[in-house]
Amino acid sequence: MYLILLSIFIPILMGLYLLVRKEYASRGRLLATTCAGLVLTGALAVASFTAAYGSSFTLFYLTKSLPIAFAVDEMSVLFSCLTVIVLLCAGLFSFEYMKHETKEKRYYGFYLIVFGVLNALCFAGNLVTFYLFFEMLTLTSMPLVLHNGSHEAIMASLKYLFFSMCGAYMALFGVFVVSHNSAVLTFSTGGILHAAAGSPSAGLLLAAAFAMLVGFGVKAGMFPLHAWLPTAHPVAPAPASAVLSAVIVKAGILAVVRTVYYIFGADFLRGTWVQTAWLILTLITVFMGSMLAYREPVLKKRLAYSTVSQLSYILFGLAVMGAEAVTGSLLHVLAHGLIKTALFLCAGAIIFTTGRTRVDELRGIGKEMPFTMWCYTIVSLGLIGIPPTGGFVSKWHLAIGSLQSAIPVFRWLGPVILLVSALLTAGYLLPLTIQGFLPGADYDYEHLKKREPSPLMTIPIAVLTILSVLIGLFPAQLTDWLTRLAARIL
Amino acid sequence: MDFVRNFPCISIMLCLFAGIISSGLRGKAAMLVNAALLVTNTVLSACTLAYTLAAGESFVYVMGQFPAPWGNEIRAGVLESLMALFFCIIMLLSLFGGRHKLIEGVEEGKLYLYYVLMDLLLSSLLALVYTNDMFTAYVFVEINTISACGLIMIRQNGRTIEAAVRYMIMSLLGSGMLLLGLCMLYDLTGHLLMSNIKESVAQIVAEGQYTIPLIISIVLMSVGLCIKSALFPFHAWLPDAYGYSTVSSAAVLSSLVSKGYIFLLIKIIYRVIGFEIYRDSRIIDILFVFGLMGMIFGSLSAIRENDIRRMIAFSSVAQIGYIYMGFGMGTEAGMTASVFHILSHAATKSLLFIAAVGLTDVSGRNRQFIELTGAGYRNKWAGAAFTVGSLAMVGVPMFSGFISKLLFSQAAVQNNTKMLPALIVLGISTILNAIYFMKTVIRIYTPVEDTPYPSMTFRNMPLYAVVLVAFIILNVTLGVSSQPVVDMIRQGLAMFA
Repeated sequence: MYLILLSIFIPILMGLYLLVRKEYASRGRLLATTCAGLVLTGALAVASFTAAYGSSFTLFYLTKSLPIAFAVDEMSVLFSCLTVIVLLCAGLFSFEYMKHETKEKRYYGFYLIVFGVLNALCFAGNLVTFYLFFEMLTLTSMPLVLHNGSHEAIMASLKYLFFSMCGAYMALFGVFVVSHNSAVLTFSTGGILHAAAGSPSAGLLLAAAFAMLVGFGVKAGMFPLHAWLPTAHPVAPAPASAVLSAVIVKAGILAVVRTVYYIFGADFLRGTWVQTAWLILTLITVFMGSMLAYREPVLKKRLAYSTVSQLSYILFGLAVMGAEAVTGSLLHVLAHGLIKTALFLCAGAIIFTTGRTRVDELRGIGKEMPFTMWCYTIVSLGLIGIPPTGGFVSKWHLAIGSLQSAIPVFRWLGPVILLVSALLTAGYLLPLTIQGFLPGADYDYEHLKKREPSPLMTIPIAVLTILSVLIGLFPAQLTDWLTRLAARIL
Repeated sequence: MDFVRNFPCISIMLCLFAGIISSGLRGKAAMLVNAALLVTNTVLSACTLAYTLAAGESFVYVMGQFPAPWGNEIRAGVLESLMALFFCIIMLLSLFGGRHKLIEGVEEGKLYLYYVLMDLLLSSLLALVYTNDMFTAYVFVEINTISACGLIMIRQNGRTIEAAVRYMIMSLLGSGMLLLGLCMLYDLTGHLLMSNIKESVAQIVAEGQYTIPLIISIVLMSVGLCIKSALFPFHAWLPDAYGYSTVSSAAVLSSLVSKGYIFLLIKIIYRVIGFEIYRDSRIIDILFVFGLMGMIFGSLSAIRENDIRRMIAFSSVAQIGYIYMGFGMGTEAGMTASVFHILSHAATKSLLFIAAVGLTDVSGRNRQFIELTGAGYRNKWAGAAFTVGSLAMVGVPMFSGFISKLLFSQAAVQNNTKMLPALIVLGISTILNAIYFMKTVIRIYTPVEDTPYPSMTFRNMPLYAVVLVAFIILNVTLGVSSQPVVDMIRQGLAMFA
């Protein structure tokens, strides 16, 4: 119990301390403090989901009917693992990358706070606690977006804020309706609304479920409230973009998982108009995200659009509500998290060494930074879904799950759109590799110089790449575990 | 422990005496008298609250032992003493937080007058809270108006005089309507004591007599108090009055004076007319609609505003709208939410006014947003406090505003016809709030390279910083452990019936 609280509050307090204390005399001290904070928090998070697995406790009561409670279950473990890996890797990368940015202290302060809030989201035990930290996540991650303080960044962060607020409020409406129909809001597998299934308030509850899906879906970049994501993610410093795009958006996914499978229950929503509408929204997003990414010339923006599309793969699997598809979704949560972090870190490394941001300026980049580009290529293949990388396994399960389900039209339309989107994914990721390694005959080899970034940058990228390949090479145990988990929550 | 029953009367009397004594004192001494008065009254109200909580019922104090219908009565229950306690605390904090502005903004020889007015204002607020007699209520409404005008005008420049005149005209219109309504009610019932009027009104309604005069009297009283508490569309006097007066006045006016009138309206609804009769009169629907419109238009005006003080003032219009929307639900839950919002808005709005003045002080007294850039770094305490206030206003969990919103929504879900408009407008208004408050927070935390303005640290303004911390604690406490307060409000409302 104390471990959970420590893993939440230590980073938040350390972050606050960094924010209020005066400038460090040397950069090394700042990095040492931050590094200690990150490692400590990571260790605490891991310790809390190993040692406190299965436990739950109530911290205090916000009002009589609204306890602030924490609990550790399998879903917490999955999302917490991802959070720890990504935040540690991106944190390590920041130490080098942030050399060319200003206001480092503020950046690390909010970075640590976000870590704490993410831990809290993973371990939240009921809907109110989750909502509380969900709002906090928006507010504390906003400074990462507006970090460079330019007009563009401020407008982007405001856009982020308004979309998130809008979504959070829609979700809150759902929370109110649910709390009106259920005495407790504790997450429990299979949902808590069995009694309300046939009652007259079922119609209102379905509307509430839809509001919560769309509202929480804002964080996960789901159409129609996705527009903030491609604006906000690229303006942040690259490691922060990685965190935003790989983990913070997953908070939206976690919110949807918790809402659908732990509050309403799959049986409550299966076969209703909510499921149909949700499937339509996710498929539109998958296609549209890939299409926009394909047309986008700026690398980081392209990756952000790709996030929009990939997250809706996950949402699609969740919307199908079958064991196989949910397994695929959960696997893709992990795969996409690792791959997207690696991709953004590669983009960051390129920007850091060359200062170039547009894809068409990056001809021959593979000759200059071969290691980074190799990693980029390997994880790209993973995102496209080419075996033996992580993305293949998850997409396989998604497609199979969709075909196995009994939903009319969508059972075959889903896989078709997934395939088309995979093709587009190849279309927007691989040109960089092709131009990077094969710049063509007129490329000026005379002025070519090797400029691989420092190990602080390459090691996190390498670690993430290896992990993403390992998931693809040895998926059996992980898949078994996730299949059991999926079967239990359905 | 029965001597606690004297406390409400004593606290009102103390205020009046303090006012009289202060009129013969110099500025500094009057300030001390006022501070002592506020602390004493805080303690007295806390004792009364504890006493009523322990007794579990309200008590009536008969002034001078003259029984009704000749005598004058004071009535104290949980809700009344809770309000009195809150009013005293917030006034204390607001006065201390704005003291440096007061000393520099008010002419040396006139400072004592400010505290005389403040003492009178407190007496009228307490009387409005405690009285059980409609005529006494009217008298203190007038005292309240006069002293509030003085508070606006004490810092003399053209804008404040104009604002005070405007306030005076609107306020007198409101009190006039209240008086007319009161007269009609007296004609109908022959009583001035609240409990007696209520019995007669119930009888009249049961017999089906005087339906139209009764309705007109209710309308006159309600509209009169709405004008005085700046419900949309009667808010035209508000931005100038709050925007240009000295900061303590603005904080006190927005968080206490308008709330005093609203509390009087609550008393009229419960103790004079009767909740059911008031609800069935349909006036409640009109209040609901104007509350909703206020929530939207107040925020829209705030977004357009380029002056931080006037922006906060316009946000008050929206928040008053919330309170009337709660009335408009016509349920116990809605009323509880409104009363809680009175408290939470009072705590937050005074915090915002006090914090804003710290920010403008480190920006060369400019109140335009462009000058405020980076002010949060120059005055860290004010910046942090303003951020907390903004988050509370937007309704982020863990702050007082969230609990208000929660209570309003819970009330809305119970009312089938008004659920959708209430929830939709709540949502829109939340987003609008977020737009202008977050815009300001981002602005004050946008770094600037070389600024001509000096920074403020704890050493320059220890009192100010302490006040801000106290305000932050108050807001977070209301947000984190709201249950006892909500329970007290429920209990207090039950005692009203």
